[in-house]
Amino acid sequence: MGYTFHFRDVFAAQDALLHGLVLTLQLTGTTILFGFVIGLCVAVASVYGSTGAKRAARAYVELIRNTPLLVQLFVVFFGLPSIGVKLDVIPVATIGLAINLGAYTAEILRAGIESIPRSQVEAGIALGLTRSQIFRHVVLIPALRNVYPSLTSQFILLMLATSVASQIAAPELFYAGSIIQSRTYRDFEVYTVIAVVYLALALLLRLLLALGSRLLFRRRRR
Amino acid sequence: MALVELRSVVKRYGDHIVLKSVDLSLEKGEIIAIIGRSGSGKSTLLRCINGLESIQSGELLVDGVAVHDSKSDLRALRARVGFVFQSYNLFPHLDVERNITLGPTIVKSMPYQKAAELARVALRRVGLEEKIHAYPDELSGGQQQRVAIARSLAMSPSIMLFDEITSALDPELVGEVLRVLESMAKEGMTMLLVTHEMNFARRVATRVLFMNEGVIWEQGTAAAFFEAPKTEELRNFLGSVLN
Amino acid sequence: MIRDLSWVDPLYLVFALRWTILLTLLALAGGAPIGLLVASLGNTSHATSRLASRAYIGLVQGIPLLAWLFLFFFGFPIFGIDVPGWLAATCGFSVYSSAFLGEIWRGALQSIPRTQWEASASIGMSHVEQLRYVIIPQAIRIATPPTVGFIMQLIKNTSLAAVIGFVELTREGQMTAAATLAPLSVYLMVGALYFALCYPLTVYSRFLERRLHGAR
Repeated sequence: MGYTFHFRDVFAAQDALLHGLVLTLQLTGTTILFGFVIGLCVAVASVYGSTGAKRAARAYVELIRNTPLLVQLFVVFFGLPSIGVKLDVIPVATIGLAINLGAYTAEILRAGIESIPRSQVEAGIALGLTRSQIFRHVVLIPALRNVYPSLTSQFILLMLATSVASQIAAPELFYAGSIIQSRTYRDFEVYTVIAVVYLALALLLRLLLALGSRLLFRRRRR
Repeated sequence: MALVELRSVVKRYGDHIVLKSVDLSLEKGEIIAIIGRSGSGKSTLLRCINGLESIQSGELLVDGVAVHDSKSDLRALRARVGFVFQSYNLFPHLDVERNITLGPTIVKSMPYQKAAELARVALRRVGLEEKIHAYPDELSGGQQQRVAIARSLAMSPSIMLFDEITSALDPELVGEVLRVLESMAKEGMTMLLVTHEMNFARRVATRVLFMNEGVIWEQGTAAAFFEAPKTEELRNFLGSVLN
Repeated sequence: MIRDLSWVDPLYLVFALRWTILLTLLALAGGAPIGLLVASLGNTSHATSRLASRAYIGLVQGIPLLAWLFLFFFGFPIFGIDVPGWLAATCGFSVYSSAFLGEIWRGALQSIPRTQWEASASIGMSHVEQLRYVIIPQAIRIATPPTVGFIMQLIKNTSLAAVIGFVELTREGQMTAAATLAPLSVYLMVGALYFALCYPLTVYSRFLERRLHGAR
């Protein structure tokens, strides 16, 4: 091959790349949504739950955080049919990714909840608020604000990790790349383009999340 | 009937007995100041009265509610008992108005407009009406503490508890807070204060308690207490503090 | 040839662990020196070096690990360098590690308060002596828990080497799954083995973290 790069062949396949990109964005979006909800529930269970709930939450988090995403995706991919659940590859990938993100998010949110000083909670108790009222009005927003940078990093990592779903044939961006590569044999060029696209996505997502924090934690002046 | 009644109250932290056996009776309109060394149990006593701390034995009745009984509805009680903390504990993500309206709107299901009006009145009471839309980190310590008092007042409590509320303040900010307390006392609010401010206690309190080693070591009217202390421990304490 | 899952298979999986560990060590050997460079560049007084450090970290962290592996795997032949698969994988993991380690270590160095520099300067230490006796010992203590945590992540990440054919634990699992047609059981075993390797590191990292903050 020498030193001549043939990027044109890659750009000719831009439709395929675009489809892959759209799915990557879709996977990222749905995973963040479900993963955050799972993470919040697990975090609440690990801080406020019964002993059994706390243990279950701890087990879930440790199991996911100490095993590779690739293996988790394989387990979900082969495990769901074995309990009779037959799904398309995209929902399967979403489930696997969301279970993964949920564990990391739970850890982050738990740290956020525990970072709220007991004195704040006592002020709520002294006013006569219930535990759930205290959580909603006194703990949740400051906790989210405290851990927002960690959440941002985790979500960006997740977006990049959607590439692993290519290994269970989810047709996202990385998978699209490997298809183009097998057709055009322009291996290096394909993955260079893909790398640049991911880099751009990472920057964009960071910007989006930064804007989001400005909206969420805005000081409302009346 | 006494507003607050303690009978042989005992409080333990593990093996450490903080309150050995406390008996106390507080009538409506009384203003009781509690003084003593750190570790004597005075803050713990206050925190037991609104149920922030549990007691191991004895009886604690506040406004008819048996606080020591786990079946009691402490939430409803706390809405009637105001508590102001040493470190004010304002909610940093809410402005002053929302800090004050949170209790009435959520606990008393008050419509927001009515709660906002209540907040305005409470703030006027403590002299900070113009700060209604400020955020806690924009206020001085003394201002934050006064907002904390307004936050408790907005719940229309029948009794107010103050846990060393000037101890964390810079000296020049203490006066503005004490002035608010004094005006509340004049209006007939029932108050229980843990404090180091001896002059204030002498001037404003109807009764003063000296806590030592987990019991009420000595008590009396403000004048008798400070002018003629009966026990040696109180004499020593006053000697070291008033110098 | 399809066969049944038997007692030998877990053994093969366990043996494959050594390649996982080897790859992790190679990645560290390659990534640590670069990481040190990135960390020290990120901590100098020159704005350009700091920018270069941040740009490097941002670039590497903004590209998925799989992409880095493929770039090296397909890149070397293009430039006429014939390189075995494991070396390409090592390069990919090294670059990836260098950025994350660089970020951790730069953060550790930066967290040493100015006053430590001032105090050691005021007793007459040279810059090198300051680093050697005061700054770096403290930085190492601060950096160790997250570094141990990252090593644990690296072990998990080596699973991606399976995708370029490197036979470590996950690849061994794929081959076993294909041979026995019992993929779920195989991957559960694979997961259990990763857990057995990673969980002790997680616990150790937490222990170090607690000890660090307890001593303060």
